[in-house]
Amino acid sequence: MISVHTWRRVRITVSSITLVVVSALFLDITNRIPPSWKAVVTALQFGPALIATISSIGFVVIGLLFVTLLTLLFGRVYCSHLCPLGTLQDIIIWFRKKNYKHRTFPFHKTNYFAHYSITALIILSAVGGNMFLLNLFEPFSNYGRILSSLVRPFVIGMNNIAAMLFTSTSAFGVAEIPLPGVSMWNVALPFLFLLLIIGFTVWRGRLFCNLLCPVGGILGLLSRFSFYKIRIQNEACIDCGLCERVCRAQCIDCAARTIDAAACVGCFDCIGSCPTDGMGYTMQRRSKPGSAHTIKEEQDRRILLLSLSSVLFDSTGLQTIVPPSIPLLSGYSEAKRTPVVPPGGRAQEHYEDHCTACHLCISSCPTHVLQPSFLEYGFAGILQPKMDYNVNYCNYDCTICGEVCPTGAIEKLTLPEKKLVQLGKAVFVKEDCIVEVQKKDCGACSERCPTKAVKLVPFETTLHIPQLENDYCIGCGACEHACPTTPRKAIYVTPNVVHQTAKKREEKRVEPQEATPQEFPF
Amino acid sequence: MDRRTFLKKGIGFSALTGANIAGVQLLSPHLLSARQSETIPYDLVAVKGGEPDVMFAKGMEALGGLSTFVKKGQRVVVKPNIGWDVTPERGGNTNPRLVEEIIKQCYQAGAKEVVVFDNTCDNWQRSYSHSGIERAVKDAGGKIVPGNTERYYHPVSVSGAKNLKKTKVHELILESDVFINVPILKSHGSTQLTMAMKNLMGIVWDRGEWHRNDLHQCIADFAPYRKPDLNIMDAYFVMKRNGPRGVSQEDVVTMKSLLISTDMMTIDAAGAKLFGIEPNDIRYLRIAEEQKVGRMSLEGLNIKKISL
Repeated sequence: MISVHTWRRVRITVSSITLVVVSALFLDITNRIPPSWKAVVTALQFGPALIATISSIGFVVIGLLFVTLLTLLFGRVYCSHLCPLGTLQDIIIWFRKKNYKHRTFPFHKTNYFAHYSITALIILSAVGGNMFLLNLFEPFSNYGRILSSLVRPFVIGMNNIAAMLFTSTSAFGVAEIPLPGVSMWNVALPFLFLLLIIGFTVWRGRLFCNLLCPVGGILGLLSRFSFYKIRIQNEACIDCGLCERVCRAQCIDCAARTIDAAACVGCFDCIGSCPTDGMGYTMQRRSKPGSAHTIKEEQDRRILLLSLSSVLFDSTGLQTIVPPSIPLLSGYSEAKRTPVVPPGGRAQEHYEDHCTACHLCISSCPTHVLQPSFLEYGFAGILQPKMDYNVNYCNYDCTICGEVCPTGAIEKLTLPEKKLVQLGKAVFVKEDCIVEVQKKDCGACSERCPTKAVKLVPFETTLHIPQLENDYCIGCGACEHACPTTPRKAIYVTPNVVHQTAKKREEKRVEPQEATPQEFPF
Repeated sequence: MDRRTFLKKGIGFSALTGANIAGVQLLSPHLLSARQSETIPYDLVAVKGGEPDVMFAKGMEALGGLSTFVKKGQRVVVKPNIGWDVTPERGGNTNPRLVEEIIKQCYQAGAKEVVVFDNTCDNWQRSYSHSGIERAVKDAGGKIVPGNTERYYHPVSVSGAKNLKKTKVHELILESDVFINVPILKSHGSTQLTMAMKNLMGIVWDRGEWHRNDLHQCIADFAPYRKPDLNIMDAYFVMKRNGPRGVSQEDVVTMKSLLISTDMMTIDAAGAKLFGIEPNDIRYLRIAEEQKVGRMSLEGLNIKKISL
């Protein structure tokens, strides 16, 4: 027979591994983890995997099915084993227990009406194309943002201090990593969320999971029907109340000797705490019609329907939130107001409707051109990543963001596909160009252009000025990034609301390939 | 000398980051460069018809071996063009086989250390890796160092400059005993050709500065700051159009050539001719000629031509 402590040990082991692995994805500052591995890890994250599977069936569906089956078999063990945000809360709870031994989380009836209403509202608004609430509460994405916005800069800072202290160029070992400009909101929002989580956890344990978390809501519903449930064995119970004292989900009612399976996050602490080994993690007993158990389930269903219907009427309100206007950089065309969506995002609408702003792409982008937005996509798309050509430009031979995106907001493209995806088109403002203003050669834009959509053509006898062939432009931003004019770039990318396909440049060679000189011309 | 001893020698951090400093000026350039010029048998060596490493070996033999330039215990910085995230056949970066052979010979000549870097245009890790140069350097026992961080670059003033009076130069250039410049010959949109002098844009921090202040003038301005002790121009794969990045392999011809000279202007003039452009048609070369950076005319020079 399995020892009473085994389940707990398994939970601690699995959750620690998950936490370390998921954290590594976001803290991989030197991009050593292959993108395909990242995709495997995130396939087990229920929220992103669900979104990805709805938009297109890929291998992610395996992860989704696994978590679903796991929940149907064992209950909401996902929340204590595979959810990094859950484990983060467990760590906070552990600290709390060390410091306040006597202040426990007594039984508190879960407010299913509130939780299911919120879950339904989140789902419905997401389905309706407004990702605001989902992104606000989806656990994986929140964990991702905490790591990439709060922890990652710290790790990069440590790396850079190490680079400074321990390696000179003569004994080079650690490369410095540029810390891209930290935007206040990108730090403030994850920080506020972290405070919220800490507050909730200290106050009432896993309250977040049983009130706000959409994944908790869905899995909680499933876990009502799970085969295995933790039960109090009446014959062994001595009413000591220890199980209730250790429960972090406030789901054990000792007085009534019941455990609310829909709120239980499967930490298994209670089983080990029982002095009489009176708690069992057992298969569901078939309940007879009319028994107390079925009546309870019937009530649950009614609550669910009620909350769903209330949400249907409420949810329309969300759609009317108007995105606040962003001050436009003086002199840029109106089109530059909206951000450029990364390659594979297909269209602004598709991208905004699928991205949960987990920032895994930001953490994986080798050039750091992907940066969090603030309100450029509107409220609903707060913190969704955008292409920031001030920081860098999109590497022509790279498809990493699409490979790691766990929701399919950035679809995986093959390299030849990616090279022809046109994210936007370049705009050239001749009056601002060095060549026109100073009558001197520059050509920084054309140098970097990977498709030579920016060509230099003869200008005023001896000079060369940029000329656009936007059929070939892929909107990578190399020209904009390289353009040395200030304060405004003389060449910049305006986004395509729907990504288009660029023309492939196929210039045949004009000279024979073999060109070893017969004689040197000197 | 490494950076630490460099610092200990009384230049100090504030001096390094401050405006211009006697220390850097002292260490830099003119005292160290061209010191062997009187013993070199040829002004220019041109090799064709072989593989990059073989051509270099043969060319160097004619010049009396790399030990003419690299002495025992010296620290050598090799500066290839690693500007782009492209593979060697695309002719965007210096051929890795050439770089590898140069490093090997430096060590054979007794170099204490050989370091390689470039301030790349595309992402540096990807450029280092896909150019094949990172591998080549490691295989040859050299060190490849990033050029992506401003911290490595120290302010210097460029005497005699018209436009580029001040800039920031990578500390490896300031500290090393020997500077070997290894450009690749290729087309370039705004300057027509990029060769030895233009390759020095990769040892400074802010290239935008050059573009903003008359690119040609800046190239010529910076050239005398720290003249390389040796220039080795790779013309094995030569990008004939769409430079400096190129669009496809259709832009590239196989020229299987290599030039070696201690004079940047001489090697650039020869490179231009090899490419099919008159050196005089390139503005930065004309300016450099006026500013007496080196010798552009190939007339009357002692040129060794080797055909393999």
